Amino acid sequence: MVAWIFILPTILLLLAINIFPLIWAIVLSFTNYRANQPGREVKWVGTRNYERLLSSEDIWGYLQATAHFVCWSMFFQVLLGFGLALLINRQFKGHATWTTLILLPMMLSPAVVGTFWTYIYQPQAGIFNYIINFFIDAGTFSMIGEVALAPWAIVMVDTWMWTPYVMLICLAGPRSIPDYLYEAAEVDRASKLRQFWSITLPMVLPFLMLAVLFRGIENFKMFDMVVELTSGGPGSTTELASINLKREAFEKWRTGYSSAFAILLFLTVFGLGNIYVKFLNKVKER
Amino acid sequence: MKAFTTAVAAGVLAVAASAGTAQAQDKELTLCWAAWDPANALAELSKDFTAESGIEMNFEFVPWTNFADRMLNELNSGGKLCDLMIGDSQWIGGGATYGHYVRLNDFFDANDISMDDFLPATVYAYSTWPKGAPEYWALPAMGDALGWVYRKDWFARPELQEEFKSTYGYDLAPPENWNQLMDIGKFFQGREIDGKTVYGMAIYTERGSEGITMGATSALYPWGFEYQNPDKPYDMQGYVNSPAAVEALEFYKELYECCSPPGHSDSYMVANLDVYKSGQVAMQMNWFAFFPGIAKDEDVGGDKSGFFVNPSQKIAASTLGGQGISVVSYSDKQDMALEYIKWFANPEVQKKWWSLGGYSCHVAVLDDPNFASTAPFAADFLKAMSGVKDFWQEPTYAELLQSMQKRIHDYVVADQGTAQEALDKLVDDWTIVFEDDGKL
Repeated sequence: MVAWIFILPTILLLLAINIFPLIWAIVLSFTNYRANQPGREVKWVGTRNYERLLSSEDIWGYLQATAHFVCWSMFFQVLLGFGLALLINRQFKGHATWTTLILLPMMLSPAVVGTFWTYIYQPQAGIFNYIINFFIDAGTFSMIGEVALAPWAIVMVDTWMWTPYVMLICLAGPRSIPDYLYEAAEVDRASKLRQFWSITLPMVLPFLMLAVLFRGIENFKMFDMVVELTSGGPGSTTELASINLKREAFEKWRTGYSSAFAILLFLTVFGLGNIYVKFLNKVKER
Repeated sequence: MKAFTTAVAAGVLAVAASAGTAQAQDKELTLCWAAWDPANALAELSKDFTAESGIEMNFEFVPWTNFADRMLNELNSGGKLCDLMIGDSQWIGGGATYGHYVRLNDFFDANDISMDDFLPATVYAYSTWPKGAPEYWALPAMGDALGWVYRKDWFARPELQEEFKSTYGYDLAPPENWNQLMDIGKFFQGREIDGKTVYGMAIYTERGSEGITMGATSALYPWGFEYQNPDKPYDMQGYVNSPAAVEALEFYKELYECCSPPGHSDSYMVANLDVYKSGQVAMQMNWFAFFPGIAKDEDVGGDKSGFFVNPSQKIAASTLGGQGISVVSYSDKQDMALEYIKWFANPEVQKKWWSLGGYSCHVAVLDDPNFASTAPFAADFLKAMSGVKDFWQEPTYAELLQSMQKRIHDYVVADQGTAQEALDKLVDDWTIVFEDDGKL
């Protein structure tokens, strides 16, 4: 009984700020409710919002843009983050200074990062185009204004910003591997490559998978940086699901429809996250 | 005893001071508008109101990119931040229907403020809802339309004049139609001027708020674009996606591809001003509201810049900008806010408003025989305002606008599909909006 008294405030808080809004959003998703028209009659529309969502070509476009962004940014961040972690782990002279410098981008605000990368990508005066043209004659091109380049432009910026975060998580891996494992491998005359595949990678894998989980969830929700960089354009090329959701909910005020979209996104992230966590637990048990 | 007396005196003083502060707070108003040059002019003008009435004026100016988001949220949530709102013309339907704005008819009647004293196009666009009905929700405050600015000094160069005439067969001068506009754009695109590569023109392509819609409609309207069947409201099929509309949209896309600077794919007012002022383009489209600033600019002002009204094609037409001033119904200071509107409607105040850089809609200013000579863009402003057309002003305007932003940007900038497909999809989107709103 005493225990219940102690945890009751937490339970009430969770119910108020997590469970109730979720249930309320589910209810709204079956209505034509608009938050900017409080006096309007709210009608029960059944599954109409879900039908419109699932039959909309545009929605699939936003989900594809999101999938492209999430998958590629995670791929590059894990690759580079892991590589940097292995390098920094070598404890070379000045490695502490380098670690601090590498960590700087993730300490900035995403909105600030998005804004200043628009200047870096500026076709006439931006340093990015200058560097590319220094090596190859690419001419004047716009990273955030061309359909083929814009999806990669946002992946690049996100990778620049969040690779240090992945590195930080991965760094815990190599540092947790006892030296005697490598010494035993040396005695067995295992090559460096063999040591990497048989010792380093398996020991670091749970940390890597954790980084993938964190970044995956974060990137699925990505909003501010991409809005500042491209506003979802050109056209809808970089209009991620979260950007479209905000437009539907707070610019068009289609509260019922956007609630349905939010529920579908929640189910997607929740489902994928659960499958992934089960897989992660299996890896850790090995 | 002495200490007690001192304490009582201090207490009395404190109460008196706080009462004074409360009174001062009661005698102040907050006016909400976008952050741009005319807003600064209004702040300057409003000092006269404070001097006359003793009412302090506070201003909440929000950058254009966030203006609609921020202020519509304020209105939708019944916020008391703004006593006076200079809201965009398209907000009038929602402002009236959802009860955000105070109906002004009785106030106008009681104070001899006649809507006949204002340019009819501005009364229709900024004040009335339902459209054209004598139901007034705002006083026309800031007339505006989309116009064009060009580098007069470049146009005047003899070698360029000669080359242009030999290429196109007519004089290099402000264009009279969109074909000429494109010719001039192509002529300047990629040209070296004073050792610098310049481009044809800066047009609106912004995706997030309203930019590309305002830009594309400045082409659609001269091609005779209609939002709906004039005899059957909300009947859009064959109007929004008419052959003329398709042609106009294709033209706008071609203009973007042939004649705008590289990377000009998400640009609105400020971006256009920037590329123009930095000498990168020969022409820019922008709101007349910015023209006083351009005329005075150190780098491109004076004789270096000229102005022209939106070119005609099948008809003469310009995209409407501008705003009316409304009293917010959630304000506790409606009487003082109405006092401000009464003061603002005064012809003498309106004349000073124009002289400071605001665009008055009052006939006392616009019908003055000398008006056209008061500024290098004044005559074009009058011409533009005689043929303005606005976007939907329906309560659901934000939804209608976002759909158009997407469809037009997808086609013009992202090169997806055809103009016909873009406009067909737009009709589908708008049909759903009006169905959901019970209009269809």
